[in-house]
Amino acid sequence: MSQFLDMFLIGISAASIYALMAISMVLVWRSTRVVNFAQAGMALLSAYIGYELVSRTGNFWISLPLAMILGAAFSAFIEFFLMRTLLKHSNQGPIAAIAPIIATLGLLGVIRAVIGFIWGHGDVQLEAPLSKVGYKFGDTTLFIGPMGLFVICFVVALLLVVTIVFQKTNIGLALRASAYAPEIAQLSGIRVSGIRTLGWAIAGAAGAAAGILQTVNGTGGLTPESLEFSLLLVFGFIAAVIGGLESLPGAVLGAVILGLVLAFVQIYISGTLVFIVAFILLLAVLILRPQGFLGSKAGRRA
Amino acid sequence: MLKKHPLITFIFFGVVLYLISNRLDELLVYQGATVGIFVIAIASLILLTGYSGQVSLGHGALMAIGAYAAALLRIHYNAPVWLTFVVAVLAAAVGGALLGLAAARLSGPYLAGTTLALAIGLPSIANQFSIFGGEQGLSFDIGFPPASLGEDFTQYKWYFWISWSAALIAMYWLRHVLNSRYGRSWRAVRSNDVAAELAGIHVGRNKVLAFTISAGLAGLAGALLGMTISLVSPGVYPLLLSFSLATGAVLAGVTTLGGVMIGAVILVAIPEIALAIANRYGGSETIITNLPGLLVSGLLILTVLLSPNGPVEQMHARHAKRAKSGKASHSPVELTLRVGSKTWSTKK
Repeated sequence: MSQFLDMFLIGISAASIYALMAISMVLVWRSTRVVNFAQAGMALLSAYIGYELVSRTGNFWISLPLAMILGAAFSAFIEFFLMRTLLKHSNQGPIAAIAPIIATLGLLGVIRAVIGFIWGHGDVQLEAPLSKVGYKFGDTTLFIGPMGLFVICFVVALLLVVTIVFQKTNIGLALRASAYAPEIAQLSGIRVSGIRTLGWAIAGAAGAAAGILQTVNGTGGLTPESLEFSLLLVFGFIAAVIGGLESLPGAVLGAVILGLVLAFVQIYISGTLVFIVAFILLLAVLILRPQGFLGSKAGRRA
Repeated sequence: MLKKHPLITFIFFGVVLYLISNRLDELLVYQGATVGIFVIAIASLILLTGYSGQVSLGHGALMAIGAYAAALLRIHYNAPVWLTFVVAVLAAAVGGALLGLAAARLSGPYLAGTTLALAIGLPSIANQFSIFGGEQGLSFDIGFPPASLGEDFTQYKWYFWISWSAALIAMYWLRHVLNSRYGRSWRAVRSNDVAAELAGIHVGRNKVLAFTISAGLAGLAGALLGMTISLVSPGVYPLLLSFSLATGAVLAGVTTLGGVMIGAVILVAIPEIALAIANRYGGSETIITNLPGLLVSGLLILTVLLSPNGPVEQMHARHAKRAKSGKASHSPVELTLRVGSKTWSTKK
């Protein structure tokens, strides 16, 4: 029983971070039809900025929102200066399909190199502000402690905010409209290009939160080549694809499914198989249900 | 000449390379061998992206599959060298066919993400099973060059010969395939898959075939790369290799095989250029480790922004434009030099 509970808690706390990553990929995809392969690099950069802020201010609780704001600003900057030019120039020939993919990969490389220049290749420690020792009930120790609980609560709160913004405000309506039908949205007086930048900015903030929480909830160590962040990219992508790459609730659902499946494999089978299982899950979803669990049918098949 | 007598051109090219290899010092011969390997790898990616319209960010993983197959065969059965390369091609082609079956159903970003996941996850697969030797990997030793080649025939020159013969054969064959029925079908599928299907081309089958051939070539390149460093390990085929190949393909221009040398030479030259720059500015550790990545990525972004279809294609397009407007120039080579407001040109 306690093993099962552990599995559930590991799964949920991993899922909360995958969900943030998946949401940032979905938002970028919805606003510009680009899968941002630099998302993990941007999250890593935000984690480094978070580290820098913590060491300057000494306070994690101020640094987290500040780093998210900076992450949003950086993401908007990339959309405004790089992606707009790119989508305007490379829209014909066989390159058109892969130009955004290649450009975001280039961006990933540039970000990594810049991180290496500034912070070097040594291990940088971003300490967790709360204890990671698990809660105790009688003689069983749970897997998560105050830090893990905070991560889950923070992500749920962020998800609530995003849902409210998308469902109840005019900006949310504009975001949904420009994703659904850009031309019609433009005709109705929505400034679609500005809304696209906003979509990237929200994605940047979510990615920044994912990067920082992933770091403090894990070992706390940061390196430019961190495999953890590459895996974060892959798992975020897989979660987004399971959900259909179009829908925000789908991204969260995909993250929960992925998190629980991986936790199950980790506890009951073997920790080293996690990646292979995730890859098989991705292929299975793409082949059996290519529109994802909550996605629309069109636009997926080649 | 290339158009009319491709075989003669390729043989001529081979002889030139042979003469060159006798005049170069060891380091350059070694780098020349690497250029040959990158030619194969980039060509495989161009075949996939430019001709069949599919994307792969995981070609490093396919290279690793070929290399591991070759190394295992060499270690356990002591197979002859040429056989290990054949097996490398076959093993990677099988892997590519399996991946291609899934890939044929996916478009752009989904395929990119799936292949990327494979490239990132490959080390964990290699570490999982002890037969692959974990982080340390396997040694892949092809032995000394045959004694009949003489006393002063060095190991690096042997690598150079092997990789360039493989590259020339592969390129000759690939040119043949691309000009055949299959190549035409791929281009038809790439430009408009609905029209291709109406014309009787089986779209799915063609995509899987392209992926299989591309993977086989990648496997060959992977085994050759393992050969030059006598080692096959996850560290030899990192994620960065997959990205470098994508960079090389974009720099070469994904639509034609013509630019493949450009991409390969740039990939090999960039670390050298970076080292030269770093040494000039103090040669600190951080610059030496980060500059190559920065140059590759920066170049990638600039190419996609400025000349998205590659330099060769851009030249063709310019020629076509000029021919269309009736101002076709008689001189085959045309140079324009522009400094500030002054312009010098061989054009009349």
